[in-house]
Amino acid sequence: MGITLENISKSFGKHGILKNLSLAVAAGEFHVILGPSGEGKSTLLAIVAGLLPPDEGKIFIAAREVNRVPAQKRGIGFVFQDYALFPHLTSFENIAYGLRTGSLKKKEIRTRVDRYLELVGLADHQNKYPDMLSGGQKQRIALARALATEPRVLLLDEPLSNLDACLQEQLRTDLRMIQQKTGVTTLYVTHNRADATALADRVSILHQGRIERTGSLKDIFREPETQFVAVFLGVTNILNARLSSLNENTAEVCVIHPGLKQNLKIKVKKHPVFHREKEFSLCIHPEKIRLRETPEGENRFLGRIVRIEIDGDTLEVMVDISGIKLKAVMPKTSALPLEKTVWICFEADAPHPVCEGCNRHPDYLRDCRCRIAGK
Amino acid sequence: MRITLTRGLFFDLFIALTSGLFFSLIAVVLFAMVTTTSLHEFFHQLRSPVVFSAVWISLQTSFAVVFLTFFFGFPISYLLALNHFKGKAILETLLDFPIVMPPLISGLALLIFLSGDGLAGRILNHWNISLIFTKKGIILAQLFVAAPFFIKTAKESIGAIPKNLLAASATLSASKFFSFRRLILPLSKTGILAGLIMAWARALGEFGATAMVAGCIPRQTETITIAIYMHAMSGNLETSTALALVLMVFSFCSLLVFRAIFKKKRENGYYA
Repeated sequence: MGITLENISKSFGKHGILKNLSLAVAAGEFHVILGPSGEGKSTLLAIVAGLLPPDEGKIFIAAREVNRVPAQKRGIGFVFQDYALFPHLTSFENIAYGLRTGSLKKKEIRTRVDRYLELVGLADHQNKYPDMLSGGQKQRIALARALATEPRVLLLDEPLSNLDACLQEQLRTDLRMIQQKTGVTTLYVTHNRADATALADRVSILHQGRIERTGSLKDIFREPETQFVAVFLGVTNILNARLSSLNENTAEVCVIHPGLKQNLKIKVKKHPVFHREKEFSLCIHPEKIRLRETPEGENRFLGRIVRIEIDGDTLEVMVDISGIKLKAVMPKTSALPLEKTVWICFEADAPHPVCEGCNRHPDYLRDCRCRIAGK
Repeated sequence: MRITLTRGLFFDLFIALTSGLFFSLIAVVLFAMVTTTSLHEFFHQLRSPVVFSAVWISLQTSFAVVFLTFFFGFPISYLLALNHFKGKAILETLLDFPIVMPPLISGLALLIFLSGDGLAGRILNHWNISLIFTKKGIILAQLFVAAPFFIKTAKESIGAIPKNLLAASATLSASKFFSFRRLILPLSKTGILAGLIMAWARALGEFGATAMVAGCIPRQTETITIAIYMHAMSGNLETSTALALVLMVFSFCSLLVFRAIFKKKRENGYYA
């Protein structure tokens, strides 16, 4: 029961929201579409649900084209950002609503509603009206209502965004557990990275109406491929660089930065993208940077500690190297004071290109600097 | 500081004075009418066939109008509230016409339309149907004037249902009729009731259009308002006052029901 979208485009007036968007969600997968607000995430979900027609493109649910199939007959469950519970119906009746549209008998409806109330842990709240429920309870009822019809695919439109952080965390756990239990193919849109981290089998990053990167969050985080994806996911330490010299296994690159006060060359493991001559972007993950009192490793630079933040068991230390700021992660036990001059050390295999295989990607990936540079 | 305080005091005084004057005017006018008759005279007039017939005709026609308004008006409200189509603005403007047009002109237009040489008159004559100077004519005139009040109120009420509830209903495999019965109707019932009461009150108090279409034939087409006018003009103020008091009681009752409905709506907390 997978979902496939082929070249979906949608405009409102002259404003293009989705541009030739393609996506494939496998059966049983929990797929999260991650993107900033106003990028068309809800529009995309409404198109899949049949609540909005696409201007162009094809939608397949369970390998069947559903462009002309109305929302009522697409076999989907939809959870809305603001719950959209029917205010005049109790929790029980809200869940039973979708079941009464079919030919189920009263007893079957009762059994099914009880089962889903149990699943979301709200069996005691079946006679309450929506305005008697808390935000988290409303969202659980909305989820139970969407699941009770046993849809082929479940669509969730930022369902946790109206809840407080504590409740979000709890519901994420529940949501993942329920999805695994029911095995329903799920498409979830959000702007919140924490949702993607906790829920997704795979993530797609939506930017400017297109899917810019799809994969497991781990892979995307390691190789964001475009600067937008890197920045959006909070990948730090991105350096623009130009190739200086190329050896058999390593290369030397010159860092280009407007605020740079001195020439900075770093040794990097050789990557295919280095065959292009001009600019490209490199990323150094903070945990690969070591701060030392004495120099060590293949790359070492003197820098000054400008900020220290506590993040759980670790310290996030921001160091300034001649105008460039890099983030390093240290154990909490490290005693490094602010303004101290330290050696910033990392190996040649620490920096890696943001867009390792950018030659595979189409022209629209404009943020991919090395691609533009490589033309 | 003192100037600001004095200004504030003057402003409060102005508000209190204008409000007091206006409400006094309403109370005095009502009181003046009530005091022209005695309770004994009022009940005596109520038992007279002229008053009874006028009240009966008014009730018959106004309730018929409520019935027809609902069955013809509700689909129009539904259409205008939930659909976007070319020419919708024209339809909405047309709907406003009977509200802003003086009822006398509405009546004249209907009279021309229904008369023997009129657009509909010829067809109706062919089928031997007569609307002018009949109760059916009264109903048509009142419907023409009162229905837009219901349609607009019901339309606002349906339009106020959040779109995502309708979308949620669609994603739960609900057909349009299922959504209408289980979602739209329950959530807009307060607005529908309020619209029906408004239409009923408007039909009951209708004068201009009714007089033009149905004339003033005693005990046949004489509604309460027409009877009040006819008796007042012929110097029979006792009958006029009794009828006016009956109409006031009806208006007051409808006002009470109207307020009760909206109080309930506020207490329930959901839109309608």
